[in-house]
Order: sequence, then C-alpha cells, then structure tokens
Amino acid sequence: MATTYTTTDARPPDSRTEALRALLNRRYRFLDRKWDIVFWATAVFVVAAAADITKLLFAGDWDFWTDWKDRQWWPIITPFAVIIIPSALQYIQWLAWRMPTGATYTALCLAVASWIGRIVQWDWFAGFPLNFVWPVSIIAAAIWLDWVLLKTKSMVLTSLIGGFGFALILWFANYITLAPFLQPMEWMGLPMTVADVQGIEYVRAQTPEYLRMIEHGSLRTFLGETQYVSLAFGGTLAVAGYWIGQAIARGLAIWPIGRYIKKF
Amino acid sequence: MRRILSRLFVVPAIALAVLLLAPAPSANAHGETAQEAFLRMGTVSFWDVKFSATEVEQGEQLKVTGTAKILETWPEQLGEPELGFIGVVAPGPVVIIKERKINGAPAPHAIEVHKGGVYNFEITIAGRRPGRWHVHPIFGIHGAGSLLGPGQYIEVKESGKAFTNPVKLASGQVVDLEKVGMGDVAFWAVVWLVVGLVWLLYWIVPKRTVARLPVTSQIPLNTDGMEYGLITKRDHKAMNVIMAVTLVLLAGGWIYQARAYPEKMPQQVLRFEPEPVAMTPSFVQAKATEVRYDDATHTVTMIVDVKNTGTRPATLQGFTTTTLTFPTAGVAEPVDGRSMTVSPSPTVAPGQATKLTLTISDHVWREERLIPIGESRMQITGVLRFKDDAGAENFVTVQSFITSLSA
Repeated sequence: MATTYTTTDARPPDSRTEALRALLNRRYRFLDRKWDIVFWATAVFVVAAAADITKLLFAGDWDFWTDWKDRQWWPIITPFAVIIIPSALQYIQWLAWRMPTGATYTALCLAVASWIGRIVQWDWFAGFPLNFVWPVSIIAAAIWLDWVLLKTKSMVLTSLIGGFGFALILWFANYITLAPFLQPMEWMGLPMTVADVQGIEYVRAQTPEYLRMIEHGSLRTFLGETQYVSLAFGGTLAVAGYWIGQAIARGLAIWPIGRYIKKF
Repeated sequence: MRRILSRLFVVPAIALAVLLLAPAPSANAHGETAQEAFLRMGTVSFWDVKFSATEVEQGEQLKVTGTAKILETWPEQLGEPELGFIGVVAPGPVVIIKERKINGAPAPHAIEVHKGGVYNFEITIAGRRPGRWHVHPIFGIHGAGSLLGPGQYIEVKESGKAFTNPVKLASGQVVDLEKVGMGDVAFWAVVWLVVGLVWLLYWIVPKRTVARLPVTSQIPLNTDGMEYGLITKRDHKAMNVIMAVTLVLLAGGWIYQARAYPEKMPQQVLRFEPEPVAMTPSFVQAKATEVRYDDATHTVTMIVDVKNTGTRPATLQGFTTTTLTFPTAGVAEPVDGRSMTVSPSPTVAPGQATKLTLTISDHVWREERLIPIGESRMQITGVLRFKDDAGAENFVTVQSFITSLSA
C-alpha cells in the first residue's frame, strides 16, 4: 500500500529522514496486516475490561443510576474514573504507532462493554429498565483528548488542556441525555425529578436511599452554582487521573516489555 | 503417569462444567440469618407486618403495613441511630414502590430517626415481573446496616399485556417511566459511536499499524513524525473536521435538550423527622431477669418481673423479637404455628407485681440462628405486648443475658 507523506519544509530530506521514510514503507514478510487486525481485535477485550472495571471501581453507582447523576459529585467522580485507561492507551498507541487513537479506541471499547453489561446484566438478568441504568458515553470527550494530543504532541499539555476539557465535554455530552430525567414531577405530592422517582420506585435490594451520594447542599455553596465548581474540580481531578493512566502505561505496560526485550 | 495427570485435570474440569451448567435455584433469602443474633434482636423490632395480598397481576397494587421500632437496647457499638430508611427488599425490581408513608406522612427518602422511635409504615407496591418473589420490609440505619422484617411470598401474575408504569410530569404530560428518555439515550449512544468509529477507522483502516513501530521507536515522543509520513497534514485536516463535527453535535445537543426539556431541576433529597406516633400512656412495667435455653428441646424460658401500674387488668399478648412473633397461647391466635406459654397467668391485675415465666419451644431458634451461642454477647432481646381490657396497648422492650444453656 502506498503511503502519502508530506514534509514540513521544502528542504531535501537528510539521509536519516530518508531511511525512516523507507522504513515506514518497507514491506515485511511476516509483519503484515494480519498482525494489525490481531492487535486491534484482541486488545478490544483487555481494554474494554480495564476501562469498565476502572469505571465501576471509582464511579460505580454514579454511572449505574440516573438518580445518582447529580450536579455535584457526578462531574467530579466520573471524569477521574474514566480518563485513566484512555490516558494509558493514548500513551501506548502514540508511542508505538504514533496514532492519536488511544482515548477514542478505549472509549469505543468501553461503550460496547458498558452497553453489553447494562443490557445483559442489568436489564435481562436483574430486570432494571434500561432508561434507569444507561452508562455515560465518553466518546466525545475521548475524541477531544486525542485531538489535543495530535495538535500539541505533548502528554503534559494534553493532560492539562485535554484532561480539563475531557471533564467538561463529558458532562456536556451526557447532560444532553440526562435532561429528560431532570424533568420535574410529583410523587405523593412532593416535587422531585423523574430520576428521583425511578430511584424510589425501582427497588434496589438492600441499598437504602441514604447511601446515595449526591448534592445535599452546603453552607459553602457558591451562589447555588454547584455544578460550575464541581466541573472545575472535576477537570482538575481529570488531570490527575490522566497521570495515573500515564503511570500505568509507562510503569506497567511499556517498561516491563522493554526490560523483557532487552534480555534478548 | 500421564493418565493420572490427565485424570487430575479432567475430573475437576468435568465437575466445574457440571457446576457451571447446572441450573441455579433462585435465591429466596436475603442473608437475614447471617447477622449476629444478639444484634438482630437488640436493634429493630417489627410487629403487625401485613401484606394486603399475596397474589397480584402485573401493575396491580398491594400494601405492606406494619410497625418497626428502634429499640432502646440499640447497642452502643453501632453508634447512635440518626438516619433510617424503611423500604422493601425483593430480588431486584420485581415489584415497584408506588407510595410510602411513615407515621402517616409521605416519605420517599430516608427519615431522621432516634433510639426508641416507633415507625408505622405503609408501603404500596405494584407487581412488575411475573414470578413468585420473596418480599420483606427492611429498616436501614445509616452507619449500622439493615434489618429485615417478616417476609412474604408474592405471586406476580402475567397481565397479558406489556408492563407500563405511567407517571404524570409537572407539565401535565403522561410518560411511561419504563421508557422515558430512552430515545435520547439510544440516539446519542449511536451518534457518538459513529463519530468515534469514523475517527478510529480513519487511522486503522488505510494505515498500517504494527509496521510503524520500527520508525516510532527511533523518534522522540513529542513529535508527530510528519517528516517521515507517520502523520500527514491531511490527517490533521481530517481530525480537525471530526473535532469540529463533535463540537457542533455537542452544541446542537445542548440546544435540543434546552428546547425539548425546558423545565428541569436537580435531584432532590427529601429528609424529615416523622411526627411521633400517638402512644398509649404507660400502664405496665416489665424487666427480664433471667433467660435459659435448652438446646435439646429448643426451649427458651424467660423470667420477667411485671408490674401493672394502670387501673385495668393487663394481659400479655405475646413476645416479638426480630421478625418473629410468639402470641400467648390461649390469648391470641398463633402466628405461623408459633406461640408461647405464660405462667402462672398472662393477666396481671391493676397494681399487682408478679413474676411471669414465658416458655417458647420452637425449632425456629436454631433455624433462624437466633440463639446467640458462640457470639460475643449472649443476650436475648424482644418486645412484650400488653393489652388492657379497654384495648389500650403497651410495648415494653426486655433484655437479658442467657444465664443457663439448659432448662
């Protein structure tokens, strides 16, 4: 397959550049497209599992139920929980293939895994209506993260600009789908949201309502604009989460492989 | 040797396969007997729990009513009870809760509670999933855990039509709570999936992946390798377009939700302290002084000092502990075949102070793991129910250490 490449300046390329260009276009006898398919296809399961487990571990109930998707804790906890593995994959795929795809790839794997989990486990097996247990989508936020990496070519800048924006876009994208569940209604004469009523009516065995960690109000609230403070804090935590992902990629994924290869 | 080894692996493998493939029986208990007996008895007591029906169609309603009391004997190691939640436990949302009243007031969420508090609950549930389900009332205390009330099997019969759960929004629109908002959720899930796939496929379909490693391993991390053809200007342009489309979709989605759902509010947390129930003035005092247990006959014998401080004869109606009630034989009808004998007489005259001997012989002490033998606090707790001849009732909590393990 012919590869089109463009140089950044008009000067003739030096010998090293020429050599690397040639290397990029070199045809290998055994290193063909089959290995590409093997990589992308087999990684789906590992990446989906890693991303889903990380999300469940850190964001758990905030991602399970509509009545937990509040304006205080949801924008803080969720971005932190779901940026870790995209960050790790972003590093790995950028380092290995120079492709700004790690976050989006993870987001797609996570979307498929989450939806399979919600449909099979939560709807078919446990019997919860899907509109109560839908998972967040991180794809739009992941595209942003990959795009920032492509533009900045820097993990530091991606963590700061991309990580913060990741939290904002995550909230914006998912607030669109949450909106119908924030419509007001009455339950036994008391005003509450559709999401609240879902939380009351659909029995969550042995999960008393007081375990729900959502906005309860505080004397320290900022003119009632809790969500903006939460978004800012969530963005900051996402930056921290990004570096946890980087540590996982650099420390657990890349470094041991490098050590192993060096032995030969 | 090979034969032995292969058997070593094959036999457990077959056993595991059988175990995994065998149909699992449905779980009908909720771990109630796993909690320590002295804590189950000394924390919350349920009485008069009734289910208005045991068989309903999908969507048909029934009421679960009863009384739960946070006993005065609430142990100090569990902390002071301050926040509680009375609900129902079932194997998932097989039933839905349509109303919940505590002491007559609507109580959608947790309530403020205190030691000695008495809570009359009335929970209206509706059948949702066809089947035979074990349903309990439950009282959760924040920081301590949950205590189950007496359970009941509920048969939910198929109604023959798809189950719906219509609710009325503040706007007046009636929606099905089972499906509301799902169209938006599904639409955006697909939209983002498509956009994400376009981004990903742009990179992985036309470009080789693994073959890039020999080049990327020789260049610094903070470069896009444009001079070698790893990432091209065309790639940048394409990604800019997809990013722009993403932002446009976000903006469009935001405008859509603002127009489609103009009325929104944050999720609510409705907490309050229920009005105390009207209690009859105390007319009887009781104190357990001794409890013996005979394992051979499964018999609990309790000696109780009782004083009638009222002006009317008071009769001991029964003894309640955890989810169990033992009515006095000859005074009240047995519950689930259970009763207790009281000697010399369950009736105490006005002003009389007497010593009553309560005898309960029942396998349930063992079956429900209610005798706290082997636990760190061998203590029996329960509520004695007295009634005078005018119908007034007193509920008195009694507690005593087990003083002997034989009759």
